Amino acid sequence: MNKPINVRVFDIVGGALCVSAEDGQRVHDKIAALLREQQKVVLSFEQVETLISAFLNAAVGQLYGEFSEKSIRELLSVRDMNPDDEDVLKRVVENAKRYFADRPAADKAWKEEIGDEEE
Amino acid sequence: MIYHLKTINSSQEGYEHLAELAKATNKLRADRLELDFSRVAFFQANMAAPLGVVLARVADRFNAIEIVNVSGPIESVLRKNGFLTQYRFPPLEDANSTTIPFRRIRPTEEGLFSDYLQRHLKGKGIPQMSEGLGKLFKQKIFEIFQNAVTHSGSEFGIFVCGQFFPQKQRLDLTIADAGVGIRENVRRYFNDPKIPSVPAIRWALKEGNTTKTEKQPGGLGLKLLHDFARLNKGRIHIVSRFGFYEFYGQESFCKMAGDFPGTAVTFEVNTADTSAYRLASETSGENIF
Repeated sequence: MNKPINVRVFDIVGGALCVSAEDGQRVHDKIAALLREQQKVVLSFEQVETLISAFLNAAVGQLYGEFSEKSIRELLSVRDMNPDDEDVLKRVVENAKRYFADRPAADKAWKEEIGDEEE
Repeated sequence: MIYHLKTINSSQEGYEHLAELAKATNKLRADRLELDFSRVAFFQANMAAPLGVVLARVADRFNAIEIVNVSGPIESVLRKNGFLTQYRFPPLEDANSTTIPFRRIRPTEEGLFSDYLQRHLKGKGIPQMSEGLGKLFKQKIFEIFQNAVTHSGSEFGIFVCGQFFPQKQRLDLTIADAGVGIRENVRRYFNDPKIPSVPAIRWALKEGNTTKTEKQPGGLGLKLLHDFARLNKGRIHIVSRFGFYEFYGQESFCKMAGDFPGTAVTFEVNTADTSAYRLASETSGENIF
């Protein structure tokens, strides 16, 4: 296994605000390409000031649709993240695992509950 | 036509009054709307955003809009926040720095929204929040804005406006769009044209639920906002078409009598909150994935 590559979110986004899904998608595309080559990636959030779940869903969450939990755990790590943002990332990761596991079942259950219509 | 607007509080009743305006002007085309404020006893400044939504739809049908008979105090607030200057009123300086101005931002100009927040939430005495709280507040506002960008599907743009109340130590910010509404997105997702607004909002608020279909998880933004409001003792309103949702210590859902033509989210942050808190359990970089 080769040396991990440091991917700086600040540089890809071009600033300290990680607040759009579009920017998240760009980060995702960079990481996914490296993971496909079995390359270890360290995702650095140095200099990032604000980040939101919509950004992380695109950047990291959707990786669970293509890669197994095991390979993500082996190949991807994060650094330079403040604790509040780390909490959001944790939520995003848990949500992504659920999303790719049993989404249709949850939707079907809800559909059976709804009531009357409106105009 | 002449339309007498009613009092607009930041409440379900306020949105009902805006829905009545939307309905009354629905057929107006290539005409003129005189919006008469003489019966408006109070207008809460952040509600300029959803009023902006209704009036943008009226203007889009080639109608000229004139706003008349605005009482002194209301005129003062709505000139300070820039809402009335769109209707040829002269601007008025906000000497106390309590307004968060009315802006209409195109979805492609997301950068403008961050400049707007940087400029109007920082300094000037608003809000008096701790640095940590200010950061979390800003994060939640970006979540709401991104939701509007992703889901509104509206060419009209996104309307924002806020107000700081120093005495009450509350700051209200509303982000509204003239889009299809949560109901329509949920209907498309389930391919069911009969899903009503309230169940659609209830579904959208549940963690992990999202109508995004591009193989991307979502459905966390509103949940994170809700968690933050609970800890901060803040308030949330979500209005979308016939649905009204409030969180203020507890949740309530109501079906409105009228149809608000879009979606509006108001977040009222308790700026007196000095607690230092974490939003979830402790994590370390090691066990995230």
